[in-house]
Amino acid sequence: MAAPSPTPHRTAPVPKGLQARKRRVPRDLPRFVLLCLLAVLFLAPIYWMVATSLKPETDVIASPTQWVPLRPTLNNYREVLTSPDGNILRWMWNSLFVAAVFTVLHVALCALTAYPLARMRFPGRDAIFWFILGSMMVPGVVTLIPTYLMMLRFDWINSFHALIWPGLAGAFGVFLLRQFFISLPRELEEAARLDGASSLQVLWHVVLPLSLPALVTLGVFAFMGSWNNFIWPTFVVTDIDKLTLPVGVNTFSQRYVTEYGKLMASTAIASIPVLIAYLLAQRYLIEGLSTTGLKE
Amino acid sequence: MSLSLPRAAAPRRRSTRPPLVPYLYLLPFALLFLVFVVYPVGYGFYVSLHRWDLLAETRPFVGLEYYRNLFDPSTPQAQFFWNSMRNTALFTLVSVPLLIGTALGLALLLYRPIFGRAFFRAVFFLPGILTVSVMGILWRWMFDNQIGLVNAVRTDLLDLPPVPFLSTEGLAWLPIVVGTVWWTVGFNMTLYLAALGNISQSYYEAAEIDGATSWAKFRFITWPLLGPVTLFVFVTTVLASFQLFGQTLVITAGGPNRTTQSAIQYITEEAFSNNQFSSAAAMSFVFGLVMLIFTFLQFRIMAKDARGES
Repeated sequence: MAAPSPTPHRTAPVPKGLQARKRRVPRDLPRFVLLCLLAVLFLAPIYWMVATSLKPETDVIASPTQWVPLRPTLNNYREVLTSPDGNILRWMWNSLFVAAVFTVLHVALCALTAYPLARMRFPGRDAIFWFILGSMMVPGVVTLIPTYLMMLRFDWINSFHALIWPGLAGAFGVFLLRQFFISLPRELEEAARLDGASSLQVLWHVVLPLSLPALVTLGVFAFMGSWNNFIWPTFVVTDIDKLTLPVGVNTFSQRYVTEYGKLMASTAIASIPVLIAYLLAQRYLIEGLSTTGLKE
Repeated sequence: MSLSLPRAAAPRRRSTRPPLVPYLYLLPFALLFLVFVVYPVGYGFYVSLHRWDLLAETRPFVGLEYYRNLFDPSTPQAQFFWNSMRNTALFTLVSVPLLIGTALGLALLLYRPIFGRAFFRAVFFLPGILTVSVMGILWRWMFDNQIGLVNAVRTDLLDLPPVPFLSTEGLAWLPIVVGTVWWTVGFNMTLYLAALGNISQSYYEAAEIDGATSWAKFRFITWPLLGPVTLFVFVTTVLASFQLFGQTLVITAGGPNRTTQSAIQYITEEAFSNNQFSSAAAMSFVFGLVMLIFTFLQFRIMAKDARGES
């Protein structure tokens, strides 16, 4: 359901009559050149990161500027990877672990919550739904300080518990899945119920398989949200071995204030896994984003 | 109308007792929701009314003292807090039009078929996958006072003197705003691309028969039909801009002279560096309230606009 919506018009619009066809080539050329220029601007920081990371520190600050690394070396990468100030691979693993656990728990919890709200009838259902939805209006910053104080009391500072539990009960996921569950045809569920399936079995064997697009969308959002989270982990995790990737890389930035070769090597290493994931999932990611919540 | 699910399934079990099953489903979420969403809001307010010193034995009730401090211009809290609020508002004011305009521009350039379209789309979206610290370090390096790429271009290609962007008041916003646009514009662009693809071509064909210019077509067809997406993009972008934190922390650390310190950054500084948790809690309530009012106003104004235009 994600893919088809934008496509039909994409191919349709082009030529309508002969004038359109004749105009196309000269009109498209400036557009293409402009796009190329913009692409160069967008890629420049990435290029500069890679180029800097491959230079020895003396060449980083060389004047005149070295536009390409003349004496390329992997030294910066080696030093960052073996740095005593923190282990970047360890941070990556921490981020991956936290994001994976968070995503699985969050999607499961939201599905379990959205199902009765979409499909069962019981006193207080609508009130509960609106109460959960209303919580989206509370800006995150309001709970930052009190939740931190709670973490102190739970003794969860420097523990992954602090990175996983507080964000799990998110209203957006419940809302997204409820809307999707409501749109599913009831017939299949009813058939399963008549065959004697419990509601949990119906949820697991009928509703969830049919809801895969919504579950995956929510999963990607949850994973990216956790993976990129910066504010909360910055304060709740200080132990160098427990840091997540964004926070860990930032400690490098405070340590190597002037050693840009090393900094760029660390940012490059930090970007590689997401870059690969992005290249693999690019189509689905972009299409998933463009169809979420914007159905007209 | 078919029978609804619970009724169809109920006969065996339906009795006079209220249904238990739905509440069992809701239980795990309810527990987490109460502990980590509802309780913290109340607890935060409670903290803001007391003097919360982590090391002290007692936490005396002080009423609205911390809120009053925020509105008493002689206190450092009031100065720094409202300074950070102004900075956040300034950033929002500058970055939101850029983020919407650039996104729309890119989408308009890309939505008709062109050679390499998938590549361009990927390139413009790409920066958004980087985490904020990587993005910040990257743009701090781009605008480095001596040897960043921008100054390298100035000195080595244009023969101009280097500019100390990061330590000049006002100019320090440049890497923050440019970096943010670079980082997040692809997301908005994608939303616009999807919306443009959904506009029926028949409108344009009709307009062409009437001899409409491209500008007229944009003004009277494209822009109005993009209204709902623009509302969505506007609201999400404003809310995201209010949350400004990582970019300024990593690129300028809030300097020079706190001119780029964001509201969240100051609130966290007050809490975690100054150990003034009550004061920080009071600030987050004021900040949260301002955000809430803005969200509310946006929906009201934009909803009215949408109705007026259609």
